[in-house]
Amino acid sequence: MSPVIEVDSLRVKLGRREILQGISCRLGISGAGKAIGLLGPNGAGKSTLIQALLGFHKPSAGRARILGFDCHSQAREVKARIGYMPENDSFIGDMTAVAFLRLMAEISGLPKAAALEKAHEVLFHVGLGESRYRQIGTYSLGMKQMAKLAQAIVHGPELVILDEPTNGLDPAARQRMLQLIKEMKEQHGMNVLLCSHLLTDVELVCDEVVILKDGKIVHQSDLEAERKSNRRFVQLDVNGDDRNLAAALREVGAEGISEAPGQWRIVLPADVEIGSLWRLAARERLQIRKLTHRKDTLEEIFLKAVGHIRQTPGATPAEVPAHGRL
Amino acid sequence: MAVYRRGYQRYNEGLTSHAARLMVMPRFTWERMLSQKFVLILLVVSMFWPLLCAGFVYLANHSELWQGFDGGFKKFLAINGNFFSIFMKAQSVYALILASVAGPGLIAPDLANNALPLYFSRPLTRGDYILSRMIVLLGLLSMVTIVPGLLLFGMQAGMAGGDWFWQNWYLGAAILAGFALYIVTVSLVALTSSAYVKWRVVAGAMVLAFFFLLAGAAEMVNEVFRVEWASVFNIGYAMNTVWAGMLDLEIPDEKPGVWECAIFIGALAAALLALLARKLRAVEVVK
Repeated sequence: MSPVIEVDSLRVKLGRREILQGISCRLGISGAGKAIGLLGPNGAGKSTLIQALLGFHKPSAGRARILGFDCHSQAREVKARIGYMPENDSFIGDMTAVAFLRLMAEISGLPKAAALEKAHEVLFHVGLGESRYRQIGTYSLGMKQMAKLAQAIVHGPELVILDEPTNGLDPAARQRMLQLIKEMKEQHGMNVLLCSHLLTDVELVCDEVVILKDGKIVHQSDLEAERKSNRRFVQLDVNGDDRNLAAALREVGAEGISEAPGQWRIVLPADVEIGSLWRLAARERLQIRKLTHRKDTLEEIFLKAVGHIRQTPGATPAEVPAHGRL
Repeated sequence: MAVYRRGYQRYNEGLTSHAARLMVMPRFTWERMLSQKFVLILLVVSMFWPLLCAGFVYLANHSELWQGFDGGFKKFLAINGNFFSIFMKAQSVYALILASVAGPGLIAPDLANNALPLYFSRPLTRGDYILSRMIVLLGLLSMVTIVPGLLLFGMQAGMAGGDWFWQNWYLGAAILAGFALYIVTVSLVALTSSAYVKWRVVAGAMVLAFFFLLAGAAEMVNEVFRVEWASVFNIGYAMNTVWAGMLDLEIPDEKPGVWECAIFIGALAAALLALLARKLRAVEVVK
């Protein structure tokens, strides 16, 4: 299955500065409707990578491909298949939203009638149906963000590139935006590349994550796989005589170590139900005070990848490998 | 089903051709432009001179209307290169004013609203964008230059007959090529001004000033160094000289000739195009 985004030793220089320093990755699966999160501290090269994918910057070496087309030499084919929502305000202020969307749809290649129909349809979809005849210049910040999203999807692209889509949104609008992004991938089969500083947004929406630092990829992972792998990791606090608990856990096929009196970290195999822990505790006459699923949050993954922390708090110390894989 | 009930569905049907996409922006812009009263008034006013010239052509071809006048009047009424040269010079002023009114609103708003990334993230190159914007002005300016010019030529050919047409067909070609060269140059000046100056009024004034400043500078060089070659930098002079060459009129020997003027206009157009391309980028790079 071909990847949505394929970057091979990509280097981009802006003036004398080399912003992207030979990055390589394969992201998403064409037609699968997956969301890819692009993270990194300020100046990491996220925007430059997006702009290189959009063909705005010519690579000094290497190449980038979207849906099998080279982003530079086959830019027209690439751009016909993508939608882009820029970070900053981008619109034509003295146009009504419906005229603006119609213009964008027609430039993307939709015939006149279809463009008008889709403009109305997508404005209702993003919640701007009632204000679609207002000039975009008069919109609030949240409405402008929605209008930007609408223009990115009006032509039904295969890949939507969203640069900080929740910037400046209040909590309700942010939820609405994230819901729309989820629907884009789950209901409409679009692939999404989401660049955001808000780790929770990426965690909520994305299936894969790429972390950039100083123009290099320091971490790339499948968030779904990470979630699954962490789901079987349990932290258990008990009251009572727990001397036999380790042996009891082995009986059901689980492994556990005592970190402190009454505090256990347990790894449950896939076929062991969480209920068996309750049964074991009852048999050993232990009172369960706390039982939590422990997992690495994206924040911890991010901080480790960019070198701000060396390990997950409470976890066994481990060296961050040179290639950044955790 | 009502659109608000239908919900969003991805568009999966056929796309229009590249040429059709190029015409989208001009179509939207003309729609908005022609809703401006000032542009409409200018368009109407610019038709007065062609109507007057049409009356002149009619008079020239109806000798029964001026039977009592002498031979000098007959010479005055001759429809030849001189007649079309005067028509073109007058009409070019209207075109320049129209370009200075309509041109500044073409690129400046896109730059001010940061709309270029939206265009360039679609199947539209920088060249396509410039061409689309040029088409807006070329279409508008043709309405006051090429269209009335060719109508006048056609009217004269229709009234004077086939012989006149076969002897003077080059006048029609000169009107078409001469005006085309002019409106391309004026459009490039207007677009470049729109790309570099944010305020519409200032950008419009810049378009007019560009022509007058160059003319003034050219005359100054001529006077200071007691030469004639600097006239080539006067766009008005250069354009008139090229037109005179096309209309088979006499050109003073001491002044720059047709080819020098044509080369200057070509170089100016190339420089303006380069300036435009330099300014129109999807993202501004701080080096």
